[in-house]
Amino acid sequence: MQSQLLNQMHTADKLSEEPWPEDATLYQPFDAEQILLPENASCLAVKAYLKMCGLPFNIRCCGNAENMSPGGRMTKLPFLRAGAFIFAEFEPIVNFIEQKDMAIGSWQDPDEKADMRTYVSLAENIFTMAELYISFKNERVYKEVTAPRNGIVFPWPLSQIQNYTKRRNALRLLKVYQWNDLDIKHVIEKVSKCCETLEYKLKESPTTPFFYGDQPCELDAIAFGHLFSILTTTLPNMALAHTVQKYKHLVDFCVFIDDKYFQSKQIKISH
Amino acid sequence: MSQSQAKEPKYDLTKISARVDRVKVSGLLRTHNDYVMRAADGLFKAANFQELMMEAMSARSYLHELGIFKDVSVHIDISRGADATPGQGYEVTLSGKEYSRVMGSAGTEIGQNEGSLRTELTIPNLFGRGESISLQGTYSSTRANDLQLKFWKPFFHTRFRENRPEISLSIFRQTDRFDISSFQTTNLGYVADFSVHTMLGLDLTHSLQYENSIRELNLLNNKSAPFGIREHCGPKLASLLRYSVVYDNRDGTVFPTRGILLKSTNEYCGLGGNVAYVSSTVHGEVNVPLIPGIVAQFCGRVGIMKETKNTTQLPISNLFYCGGPLTLRGFKFGGAGPVMEGTPIGAQTFWCTGAHIWAPLPFAGVFKSFANNFRLHFFYNFGNSNNFSTENMRSAFGMGLALKLAERARIELNYCIPVKRQNTDKISNGFQFGIGYEFV
Repeated sequence: MQSQLLNQMHTADKLSEEPWPEDATLYQPFDAEQILLPENASCLAVKAYLKMCGLPFNIRCCGNAENMSPGGRMTKLPFLRAGAFIFAEFEPIVNFIEQKDMAIGSWQDPDEKADMRTYVSLAENIFTMAELYISFKNERVYKEVTAPRNGIVFPWPLSQIQNYTKRRNALRLLKVYQWNDLDIKHVIEKVSKCCETLEYKLKESPTTPFFYGDQPCELDAIAFGHLFSILTTTLPNMALAHTVQKYKHLVDFCVFIDDKYFQSKQIKISH
Repeated sequence: MSQSQAKEPKYDLTKISARVDRVKVSGLLRTHNDYVMRAADGLFKAANFQELMMEAMSARSYLHELGIFKDVSVHIDISRGADATPGQGYEVTLSGKEYSRVMGSAGTEIGQNEGSLRTELTIPNLFGRGESISLQGTYSSTRANDLQLKFWKPFFHTRFRENRPEISLSIFRQTDRFDISSFQTTNLGYVADFSVHTMLGLDLTHSLQYENSIRELNLLNNKSAPFGIREHCGPKLASLLRYSVVYDNRDGTVFPTRGILLKSTNEYCGLGGNVAYVSSTVHGEVNVPLIPGIVAQFCGRVGIMKETKNTTQLPISNLFYCGGPLTLRGFKFGGAGPVMEGTPIGAQTFWCTGAHIWAPLPFAGVFKSFANNFRLHFFYNFGNSNNFSTENMRSAFGMGLALKLAERARIELNYCIPVKRQNTDKISNGFQFGIGYEFV
């Protein structure tokens, strides 16, 4: 146990010593043809966070990004390659940047930070599960959007097998979080409750556009990533988007973040 | 009998004329009659008793090859009855014992650094014309479980008997571990195979295969694998044609004393699917007897892999990994090739050669035939990856003990001393253990 802790400290030391690598690269599936709603949300959240921190990074789209990922709790995507280090998903990437002392939100006191972390984990869990639910549990969305998009990078018989495996894994994950036997009404209920909580939090500081004070933090990144993805993704079943649209403050928040950090997004992404 | 014959040819069997009146094949329960019909062809041509004996023997071995009989015995008798040729008529009875409906076997295999259990279940002679199905499973300690379901049908009973045509179809799931490069591939697919023997001047065995498989690459060590290997992760669909041709006139497969083996395998991958490459491997072996019991052997192997115009990325698992007990002794498996961040990544071309002196065990006579399963050898290996010149080549020499396993495989325990190496190579100085079918 002790050696493990020492090891961690050692890694942390090494991490904080090295500067931010020039060639830090974010790996994700193809934006236009392949990426699925939960993955898109997670990728957007990470991108927003990196932009908020003002760290330069490249984006590389790979058909096999998910297979290349070292693995994670939910979507395994995106993963960040910074020098010799590889981290997948929002939380590990945030932790990595915090160890480098380049993170936003260092101004927060520990209490506030713990509070914020709760919101982050709430938002990440609820939204990711809802996105997975709509992508894989809803028959029409699965048939018309999820399956064709997921299978696009594979030749024919393989694409069917990959769709099957992907769906099985998604359903398994939903089962672990006990979302598998909810019906759409309950899902909407959970999402609106989460939105309500977030909107309430946002309203606590009405003078500033961010959740906490006048600076962005992790919560801003994760909330933006998920809400913006849900709002802008066209699916045969728009129940999630309609739910989020009811929360005007959150929609305004998304528009604000998009304007502030993703002005040149359309140009940058088209490489 | 043979002794008395050799001393004084008292009875010259060629002078005793003979005519086969009747050939009977008994013991056919499930087998169709037409499947064994050609066993009699040669017998009816026999004109004297010696020919009759020879033909009876070849008929017996032919029946064995048909793959329906466990055991065949031959009875030659004078033919009786009204139709019998007077004085020189004979009747030949080939009585066989068919294989049982289901055959099973189990055994253990020892690989590079794992033990595995192999089980096989065969249903021979399924429809009465030699068609067979076998299910083979290998369960290893590293959880790399292989499974193969194979159906095959020989056409030895047709008029192309001499060409030994055979077709087979297998469905397989196979895991290959590349421990040194910290990845493994899982292949799931099927192979259709057509093999035939041609005798146009040279006796060649051809095999044409079509393989369609899903090859999924996973990292074994998710943290430290170089990014170049990580980029290959994920499933791919391979669709390929494989043609191999073998020339073999050696007098044995494991410890030959004379003869040449030449084998070439060529693959064209990219008939659909998303893996594309062409590759070619040639393996050669020359055996020369020096003095009785001592054999000099020279082996060589060359492999080349090239991109086709559809190639986006050459599959890392099909590149060549030089080094190890089967190629360059004295190096770790795959340890004599290009590296990325210290990890071997396979080469597009490689060559290696080996010179051996094979000798029987000392005092082999004491142990009689048991000692035939063992040989001592001295070897010198040369080889290189991604470079056909002899500059910077790798070499090693040593000696060791080899053991024959079931007329097919060879187990070697060698003491190896690497001579020339490159800084990035992974060597294995000292004792090295190897098991395989094809050594250099």
